Amino acid sequence: MSENQASAGPAIVVERLVKRYGDVEAVAGLSFSVPRGAIFGLLGRNGAGKTTTLECCIGLSKPTSGSVRILGLDPTSARDFAALRPRIGVQLQSTSLPEKAAVGEVLELYAAYYGITPRAAEMASRVGLEGKLDRQIVQMSGGEQQRLALALALQHDPEVVFLDEPTAGMDAFGRRILWAEVEALRAAGKTIILTTHYIEEAERLCDTLCVVQRGRIIAEDTPENLVTRYGGDATVCITADGFSPDDALRGLGTWAKAKDEWQLVTHGEPGLALAAVVTHANAISATVRSLDMHRPTLEDAFIAVTGETIGEGE
Amino acid sequence: MNVLRMFAVQTRMNFLWYFRRDGEMMFWTLAMPVFFLVLFSFAFSQGPSGRSATFLVPGIIGAQVLSSGFWGVGVMLATFREKHLLRRVYLTPMPRWIFFASLVAYRVTLLAVQAIILVTVGSLLFHVRITGNPVAVLIVLLLGTATFVSLGTIIGALAKTTESANNIASILTVPLAFISDAYIPIDRFPHAVSSALRLLPSTQFIDMFRGVSVDGASLASYGVWFAVLVAWTIFGTVVSARTFRWV
Ligand SMILES: Nc1ncnc2c1ncn2[C@@H]1O[C@H](COP(=O)(O)OP(=O)(O)OP(=O)(O)O)[C@@H](O)[C@H]1O
Ligand SMILES: [Mg+2]
Repeated sequence: MSENQASAGPAIVVERLVKRYGDVEAVAGLSFSVPRGAIFGLLGRNGAGKTTTLECCIGLSKPTSGSVRILGLDPTSARDFAALRPRIGVQLQSTSLPEKAAVGEVLELYAAYYGITPRAAEMASRVGLEGKLDRQIVQMSGGEQQRLALALALQHDPEVVFLDEPTAGMDAFGRRILWAEVEALRAAGKTIILTTHYIEEAERLCDTLCVVQRGRIIAEDTPENLVTRYGGDATVCITADGFSPDDALRGLGTWAKAKDEWQLVTHGEPGLALAAVVTHANAISATVRSLDMHRPTLEDAFIAVTGETIGEGE
Repeated sequence: MNVLRMFAVQTRMNFLWYFRRDGEMMFWTLAMPVFFLVLFSFAFSQGPSGRSATFLVPGIIGAQVLSSGFWGVGVMLATFREKHLLRRVYLTPMPRWIFFASLVAYRVTLLAVQAIILVTVGSLLFHVRITGNPVAVLIVLLLGTATFVSLGTIIGALAKTTESANNIASILTVPLAFISDAYIPIDRFPHAVSSALRLLPSTQFIDMFRGVSVDGASLASYGVWFAVLVAWTIFGTVVSARTFRWV
C-alpha cells in the first residue's frame, strides 16, 4: 500500500458494534478495521452474526451501539449514506429482483442508477451469463441469479465491495468466476469484505480472516498465521515392516504406536520429517506399507478456535 | 441529466415488468370498470340514461384512482419489502423520489388508458360527453393519482406484512368508493352526512374530476379543492417519507 492510500485511512472501521434483536444479541461488541486494498473475510457458523455485521456496515441495519465508518463515512447519517452509496458495491445474502425483469434490463436500470454507461453485454459475459440478456429472473437458477447479483455489485466499479456468502449455492464454474473477479478487484486496489462457509475459498481469497462466534471476534489474522497459531501439530504416519524410530527421529517430536502404525506428532516442517522417516525406513530396509503426512489446515485452526466443526448446525 | 435518465429508465422498466407481471390480469383491469358502468347505468335508471352514465364515468375512474393508490402502490410496496426487493434498491444512489414518481407515472398512464376506454364506451352506449378541457382533466387525474399514491404509500409504510396491507387497503377502498360520490350521489345522504363526506379527499377529488370532465366547470372554479388535494398530497408524502421502511 502506498503512503498516499495509507494516509487516507482504513476503508472500513467497526468499533464495539452491538446489534440486539429483542433478547437476541446478534452482534456483541465487535471491532475490526480493514485497510484500503485489503480483502477481509468473516468466517463463522450459521447465526454467528456475519450478515448482521455487514448489514450494519452498509446502512441496512442500525447498530444498537458502537460505530461504523466506511471510507470515513457514517452509514447511519443520511448525508453520509447518500455520499457512500455510489462508492460501494453490495451482494446481499437475502435479496431479490423483480420476477419479470430480464438480465439486460436490470443491468441497464442499475447503470442508470449509478449514472454510468450501460455495459450489460460485457457484465453478463463477465459473470458467465453471455447470451442470456433476455432471460427473466423467474427463468433463472439460484446460481445464475447470484451471478447477476455479483454483476450488479460490480458494474459501477465501486471502491469497497461487500459480498455476503457470494458463492452459496454456486457450482464450481460460478465459484471460479467469483474468484477471478475478486482477484481482478485486488489487482485494481479495491477493498473487499466477504463472508463464506467455504474454508478453501476464505484461505484462497482473503488477506485477513476474522473468526466470529456468537457476535464476537474470537480470532483475527492472516490465513497462514491462523494455521500456525491454532492449527496444531503436523503428523507423519508410517506403517513399515520392522520399523521403529531411532534417536534422531525421536528428536523430531512425539512418537506413538497404534497397531502396526507409527505416528509422529511434530511442530516442525512435516515435509522434512517425512523425508527423514522414509530415509530411516530405507536405511533399515523396512518395507513401507503405508505412508501419510498431515499438515495442519485452516479448517483444523477453525475447529480448534471455535471448538466446533463448521458443518454443524447447517 | 442523470436524474432524468434514471426516471425515464425506471419508468420504462416499470411498464415492461409490471405489464409482464399483470399481463393476464390486464384484461380484467380494463374490463371491470366498463362492466361496472354498464351494470350501474342500467340499475340506477330503469334503462340507459345519459345522466346516470355521465355521473358514473368520472365516478368509476375516480374509484379506480383510489384503488390504484391503495392496492396498486400501497400493497405492492409491502409485497416488495416482504420479498426483499426494496432493500436492494435502497442501496443504490437513486434519489428516493424517483422510485415513487415513476410509480405514479406508471399508474397514471394505466388510469388514462382505463379512462379512455370508459369514456369511449360511455359515449357510444350512453352519449356521455367529455365537455371539459382535456389538459385540465389530465391535470386533475395526475393530481388525484399523486394524492392517492402518497396516501397509499402510508399503508405500504405502516403495514408490517403484505397480508395486513391487503386488509387495510380493502377496508378503505371498497367503502370509500360508495361514500365518496363515486357510484352513488352523496346528495342522497342526509345533509349532515354528505357535508361530513365532503371532507374526505376521495370525495373532493371525485367531485372535482367530475366537474372538470363532464360538467364543463373550469379548473379555476375548483381552486380551493385543488389546493386541498395538494395539501393532502403533501401530507401523504411527508408521513410516508417519515414512516417508510425499505428494509
Ligand atoms: N431480523 C432479526 N430478528 C431477530 N433475530 C435476528 C434477525 N436477524 C438475525 N437475527 C439473529 O441474529 C443472529 C445472527 O444472525 P446473522 O444472520 O447475522 O448470522 P450469520 O452469521 O450471517 O449466519 P449465516 O451463516 O446463517 O448466514 C442469529 O441468531 C439470528 O437468529
Ligand atoms: Mg449470513
